[in-house]
Amino acid sequence: MKKLLILLFIGFTVTTVNAQADTSQLNGKITIEVDGLACPFCAYGLEKNLKEIDGVENIEINIEKGSVLLTIAERKQISEDLILQKIKDAGFTPGKIKKQSDE
Amino acid sequence: MDNNFFGRRNDHRKLSYRLLMDSFKIKIILVITIVLIGLDVKAQGPPIFTDTPIMLGVQGRGVRTFGNIISRENVNAYSQVLVVPYNLTSKLQVAGVVSYLWISPEGTSSNSGFGDLKVFAKYQLYQKDGKGTTLRSLIKLTETFPTGNASKMPALGTGAYQTTISLVNGYVTTKYGVYGEVGYNLAGNGLPDNLVYNIAFGYPLLPQKYPPNQLNVFLELNGNYVFEDVGNNLFLSPGIQYIAGRKLLFESGIQIPLTDASPTNQQTNYILRIGTRILIF
Repeated sequence: MKKLLILLFIGFTVTTVNAQADTSQLNGKITIEVDGLACPFCAYGLEKNLKEIDGVENIEINIEKGSVLLTIAERKQISEDLILQKIKDAGFTPGKIKKQSDE
Repeated sequence: MDNNFFGRRNDHRKLSYRLLMDSFKIKIILVITIVLIGLDVKAQGPPIFTDTPIMLGVQGRGVRTFGNIISRENVNAYSQVLVVPYNLTSKLQVAGVVSYLWISPEGTSSNSGFGDLKVFAKYQLYQKDGKGTTLRSLIKLTETFPTGNASKMPALGTGAYQTTISLVNGYVTTKYGVYGEVGYNLAGNGLPDNLVYNIAFGYPLLPQKYPPNQLNVFLELNGNYVFEDVGNNLFLSPGIQYIAGRKLLFESGIQIPLTDASPTNQQTNYILRIGTRILIF
């Protein structure tokens, strides 16, 4: 019984850690809300910073919606924190991140 | 008799020129007002004469150069200015400003060469972003070095070290932009201090998209109050700007004096600016 409890605890912990890792790693197509995108000519730095991320295949910036559609290459995963940091470094304020399937 | 005749003819010419300029100012104000009111338009770019608190895109990663054609009653001049900014961080920018001048006064020999060198640093104090909007404020410190030759007339420099502390603010949305700048210039070598104040309103004529293809119009008021009883200089400055893709911007504006503290016969007729900004970093 004691062994069973230990195994259950280990299994629960591993599952929780994996689940947390899954939520901070992104793949496929994602939409990121970016506040402060008020001028198209300002957006070059944002595009350049996001392009620097390994695994980013395509970037579409929509000024009117204030969002960026990011396509991540197949079999690649990108950290959510890294994306948020790149947006901040470009001088903008990151908002919600949505997977394309969530929309 | 002849001198009197030519003097009167000269006065008549000046009066005609003033009337022509007044009519020109009214026409420009009317055209810009009609454009601003009559069009449903979106997003715009950095002002042409007023500074911007946004240090992004061509304003932080590009080289700016422009030519000023300066027409005064007693002198014609041209200055070619090169501004090279570099963003050390997203909130801190440093830049160097170099200018080359050609000055041709009436009745005496002309002079040309490098003018005073300027360096400035901008630090962003405040940033509030929303969907399609940004409100930013920065402090700017400019130091002018008297590198332009001031010993030979006409002088190419002021011959004085100068320090300017400015506060630059801007509220930019996807539909318009409002910019304001106020700065105090401490001048050395016995020159009077002055207060610089600029206000700009920007309006785009094309829908916003990225990569950009923008045509923007601006209306600015550029002022400079010189202390020690010298007086106030105020210009009305309409301008137009075309942003051709991610990395290239063309702009032009004209400064028309509304008040001029210069002595009679030395007053400014107009200052025409034509320039470009190229994103390189």
